[in-house]
Amino acid sequence: MSMSQGKRKREELASEVSASLSNEERMVYNIIRSKEGMGIWQGNIKKECNIPESLLKKSIKSLLTKALIKEVVNIHNKSKKLLMAVDFQPSKEITGGEWYSEGKLDTQFIQALSEVCCKIITRQKVATRDGILDWVKTVGSQVFPGGVSQSQVEQILEVLVLENKVQQVKSTGFGDFASVPVGNVCYRLVKKDSRGAGGADALKDTAMTSIPCGVCPRINLCTPDGIISPVTCEYYQKWLDF
Amino acid sequence: MVTPYGIKIAVHLITTHFGNLVAKVCECLFSHGPLRLDQLVRYTELTKEQVKNSLLVLIQHNCVQAFVSGPQDDDDEAGKLRVRTQYLVLFDNILHRLRFPKFLDIVSRKFTNECVEILDGLLRDGRLTLKQMVDRASQGKEDAVAANVVRESLCKLLTARYVERCPAAEPVVSTVFKEETSTRKRGSKAAKIFEAPQTIEQRVLEAAVRGEAIRFSFTADMGRKADGEANSDDIQMTCIGENAAKEEEILWRANFEEFIRHLRHKVLIENVRTKHDDGTATVLSAILEATITKEKKVKMENSVPLSLDTIITEVMKTETGRTMTIDRIRASLDHDRLGCSQKMIIDDAYSIDLKKIIERARNEEVDSIVLKRYGTSAHRMFRLLSKDDNCFQDTDQIASKTLVDKKEVPKLLYKLWQDNYLHMEKVLVPGPKLSSNILMWKVNKALLWEHVLDEMYHAALNLSLRMAFEHEKDEEVLNVPKDKLQEPLLKRYKRLRNVWLLLGSSMMKLDDALMLFHDF
Repeated sequence: MSMSQGKRKREELASEVSASLSNEERMVYNIIRSKEGMGIWQGNIKKECNIPESLLKKSIKSLLTKALIKEVVNIHNKSKKLLMAVDFQPSKEITGGEWYSEGKLDTQFIQALSEVCCKIITRQKVATRDGILDWVKTVGSQVFPGGVSQSQVEQILEVLVLENKVQQVKSTGFGDFASVPVGNVCYRLVKKDSRGAGGADALKDTAMTSIPCGVCPRINLCTPDGIISPVTCEYYQKWLDF
Repeated sequence: MVTPYGIKIAVHLITTHFGNLVAKVCECLFSHGPLRLDQLVRYTELTKEQVKNSLLVLIQHNCVQAFVSGPQDDDDEAGKLRVRTQYLVLFDNILHRLRFPKFLDIVSRKFTNECVEILDGLLRDGRLTLKQMVDRASQGKEDAVAANVVRESLCKLLTARYVERCPAAEPVVSTVFKEETSTRKRGSKAAKIFEAPQTIEQRVLEAAVRGEAIRFSFTADMGRKADGEANSDDIQMTCIGENAAKEEEILWRANFEEFIRHLRHKVLIENVRTKHDDGTATVLSAILEATITKEKKVKMENSVPLSLDTIITEVMKTETGRTMTIDRIRASLDHDRLGCSQKMIIDDAYSIDLKKIIERARNEEVDSIVLKRYGTSAHRMFRLLSKDDNCFQDTDQIASKTLVDKKEVPKLLYKLWQDNYLHMEKVLVPGPKLSSNILMWKVNKALLWEHVLDEMYHAALNLSLRMAFEHEKDEEVLNVPKDKLQEPLLKRYKRLRNVWLLLGSSMMKLDDALMLFHDF
């Protein structure tokens, strides 16, 4: 009952708004509104309603000044701004999700949050996702004024696992795990090896990567008698420059 | 299957060790598979004598195995009488030539200098009789070395299985692959028992290898001893004389299989040490040491099952294991270290998943190549896809899970795919107006490892070619006696020495990786 009431209210509001608009403006507004959170590009409106270019531009300008529609950045094509009715929020497909701001991946935010996660894990030796989230919300609220969601912390931890910096383990309840109930998922730093290298650092010196060919982007073009060969190779030249 | 650069490095090794003619024969065998002498003469366009001599060199150095293919059903009378000796090139044995210093090092750590000298002779000359070994040992010495001394050292190496009798010269092998005529059982059970058919190389090697008892036995005639006929003193006396004569004729060679097994064990133990701790490494080391003679092949997927009591006894025998309590040993065997399951604990038969340790080491090697060559973002994506190599993921999924810019993701994925590090498939998604393509990505580990191995062979070939180039470039420096070297030759000499050290040590390290991907 309440849902149908709400719907009716919105329809009434829309008809009120449309009454105050010219015919062209109403047509354009209805097309934009029908796209909801996905928005629509100016060029596509033209295809749908077939209004002359000048009139279309005028209508859009008027709708923008009346604050009935807004411009939204599209992550897939920043030069093609999308138009959206003000009562809708841009969908994930357009913004790129919670890690994107103004159509760009917020690398600074990602970097800052992963550093914080690493620091907490280093300090506590073993940390849970919720433990980290609590810390960020209380102590780190100034660093992240926009707030951090549970899924964001979880995703950062997953990326740290992919980078081989931390590992996901289940608590045994003993030693370092004493503060975490048995069986709960928690995170700890990847064990350092005898050389003192841990995580991604441990991968630094392997047989292949310590020689030029192991990291050579042109190895597929290199042949014993070709233009690129071990005898003429510049990387070798630098490597053997004693 | 040998990869293209695998063949190139093998031919290169043969060229540097035995010259162009032998290498030509070797290359021909690689490209055509097993061949008869007349075929070899035709394909290589060398004279019969040249091909024959090249084959003799390759056989002497265990790089080629001759075999006689068994009669085939469609042969006529003349065909049945024709000699069918064919020659098969042994890729692994050629590559082992890179590892001779490592083999010598293993023996020098365990045995006396005399044993090292015997092995050195066998590696240099390929195959030797006892008499030849005695002659070698006596060279350059005032008094001839007694045969008994050499025999004693050889016996030690035989007991440790580092030396073996040469395989049969020309075993008869059926080259016809029998098709299964019996009706196959349907269902999962039939699928489970499917095994890949043996390659011709496996068949030949299996037919040539001698029985376990005689392979590592010094006594010439085992049969006579076993059947108990030789009771009277006279017969015994003649037997001793005959045996001594026969012993002199037996050809010995280094048993590469045992050396590779030893090196594999070392890699397994060191990997466990890095990943876990010294205690776990000690336990694994004791288990492998105790079961070494029971291993049927080098690439054992799981260690031979042992009871907890046996493991404890074996661990406590070792110097580092003496400090370990039973609880610590049990903890090392546990699920999160050596991976023993609950079932093994109940059955009291502990068997370690060795394949998993090797695979982990391979993954690390590939990971580091991806990280260094393609950067952190690509590395993150690669790790995501290699976590579950049976699962395809689309481009958007990868971008959102790795937090890499959506625009960068397709470029990096394409680069990895172009270099054979990823597998990609296009899926057609029908839409209301236009159907679109979605790109799905995954890591196919078996194919990837083969590709990485080929790149490693390529890198090893490059190292070797560069070594030869540096040597050639500064040959005049090497021709001057060391004490007469002066500037600027001295500077060049010092540079050359550093270059050689770096290239040589890199080659040894790379060879470890080659073994990890090919022999282990």
